[in-house]
Amino acid sequence: MKVTLATHGGQGAAIYLSLPPRVVDTRALPKAAAGALTGLVAAAKASPPVTEEAVGSARDAMSYTITIEDGAQPIVLQQSDTNMSDAFRALRDWIKKTAAK
Amino acid sequence: MNATCRCLNCIMPPHLLQKLLESKDKDIRQSAMNTLLITAQLRGERAVLASFAAAPSGNGRRTIFDCQNRTSLSSAVTVRSEQGAASSDESVNRAFDGFGTTRDFFKDVFDRNSIDDRGMRLDGYVHYDAGYNNAFWNGQKMVFGDGDGELFTDFTGSLDVIAHELTHGVTDFTAGLEYHNQSGALNESMSDVFGSLVKQWSLKQSPAQADWLIGAGIFTPGIDADALRSMKAPGRAYDNQLFGKDPQPDHMSKYVHLPDTPAGDNGGVHINSGIPNKAFYLAAMEIGAFAWEAAGHIWYESLKASGASTVFQEFADTTYLKAEQLYGTGSDEQQAVLGAWREVGIRISGVPRGAMRARMRGAPADGSGTRGEEDSLAALTKQLAALSAQVNALSKDVGALKGKR
Repeated sequence: MKVTLATHGGQGAAIYLSLPPRVVDTRALPKAAAGALTGLVAAAKASPPVTEEAVGSARDAMSYTITIEDGAQPIVLQQSDTNMSDAFRALRDWIKKTAAK
Repeated sequence: MNATCRCLNCIMPPHLLQKLLESKDKDIRQSAMNTLLITAQLRGERAVLASFAAAPSGNGRRTIFDCQNRTSLSSAVTVRSEQGAASSDESVNRAFDGFGTTRDFFKDVFDRNSIDDRGMRLDGYVHYDAGYNNAFWNGQKMVFGDGDGELFTDFTGSLDVIAHELTHGVTDFTAGLEYHNQSGALNESMSDVFGSLVKQWSLKQSPAQADWLIGAGIFTPGIDADALRSMKAPGRAYDNQLFGKDPQPDHMSKYVHLPDTPAGDNGGVHINSGIPNKAFYLAAMEIGAFAWEAAGHIWYESLKASGASTVFQEFADTTYLKAEQLYGTGSDEQQAVLGAWREVGIRISGVPRGAMRARMRGAPADGSGTRGEEDSLAALTKQLAALSAQVNALSKDVGALKGKR
C-alpha cells in the first residue's frame, strides 16, 4: 500500500504548490509500522469530515489530500483544517512524521 | 367597535382579556387564555431581543485563547482578556497586541468599529495543533499555529499576517469577495494591502521606507526567503532549492491559470494576488504620501463598493472612479491609480489610450492647457474625431495614388 499526502492552501499556499507530496510505502516499512498504517487508513476511510467549525467560509485554512493506493482504484480522502476528523488527522500526522524519516 | 374607532391596529388590552377569562362560555375563556399565553411569550421574546439590541458594542474587545496544541477551539482555555494583565506567554501577548493595532488602525484611519463596523469581538486562538505551519480566519475567529520549527516559526510573530487575517473579516462584511479565481485573488490582495498598511501605520513608515513584505520573519533562520510574498516585487519573495521560486505574477500577461480546486489554490488566490498587490504598491509610491492615506482610502472605498464576484478589471475601474470622487477628476491620485493598473497590464475602462499617454508626457489630455478636467467621454469623442480625420486623409492619399496608376 502506498499513501500520499498533499497539502494545499494557507499562508504558505504558493510554497505548497511547489513542494512534492509526502509518500509512504508499506513495502519500505517494518511490519509493525505497516500494520499501524493499515489501521490508521481504515479508520480515516471510515471517518467523514466533521461539522465545520468555521462560521461562513474560512480564509487561509489549509486542506489535505491523502491518496491511498492499495488495489485497482486509488482512494482519495480530502479534508481541511475546519472539518477534519480525528482519524484523518491521525493519519495525516503519521504520514508527515514517517515520510520525514 | 363603532365606525369612528381608530383601533384597526389595536392590541387587545389585557384588562379586557382578563374579563373574557371570567366568561361563562368555555370557548371564549379558552380563546382568551390562549391569547394571553401567546402575548406573554411574545413579550418575553421581545424583552430578550431588546436586551441583545441594547447590549453595548464590543468595540473590538480582545480575547486570546490557548488551544494547548489541540485543534478544538471550543475546549481552548482563556488566557488573556481585554482588561487582563499581560501573559507570561509571548505568543499570547503578540496576538493580543496585533489585534489591538489592527483594530486601532481601522478605527483611526477609516473610522471603522472593528471588523464588522459594529464592534465585533476579536477572538484569537494560539498554539493551535502541533507544529502547525499557518494562521487562518475561520469566519469569526483567528487561529495561529506555532510553526514546525523547520520551515516556519510562530505565526503570531508577524503583524502583517495578523492584520491580513483580520482583514478577511472586513472583506467578508463589505464586498464579500468569493474565495476563488479573480475575486478570490482580490480577496487575498485586500488582506495583503491592509495587512501591510497596518504595519506601515504602526511604524509611521512612508511607502519608500516600507518593506512591502508579507510574512517577513515567519520563516526559520535557516530558510533562504525574504517573506511569504512581496507586494513591491511579486515573484521575488524567495528563490531557493527547498521550495523553488516565488510563483506570484506581477502582470496580467503572467496570470497563472490554476484549477478551481483546493489543490489549485482555488484558482490561485494566493498566486494571482500579486497583480493587484503590485498595482497598490505602484499607486502608493506614485502618490507619495503615507500609503494608508490617499491610496488606502481609495482602496477601502473601492472594497466597500465591490461585490462578491468582482474581478480585477472591475475593481481597477472602481479605484479609478473612487480616486476621482475623493480627489477630483485628473488629480494626481487618479492619475497614479491609472498608471499603476496600466503597469500591471490592466487598462481602466473608458479611458482612451491617448489620454494616458498625454498625461504621462505632462500635457493635459484635452490639449486645452487645463489639467484635463473634462470627463473621459469628451476625451474619447475628441480621440474619435482625430482618428476620423486621419482616416479621411489616408483615404484621399489612397485615392490620389490610384489616380496616378
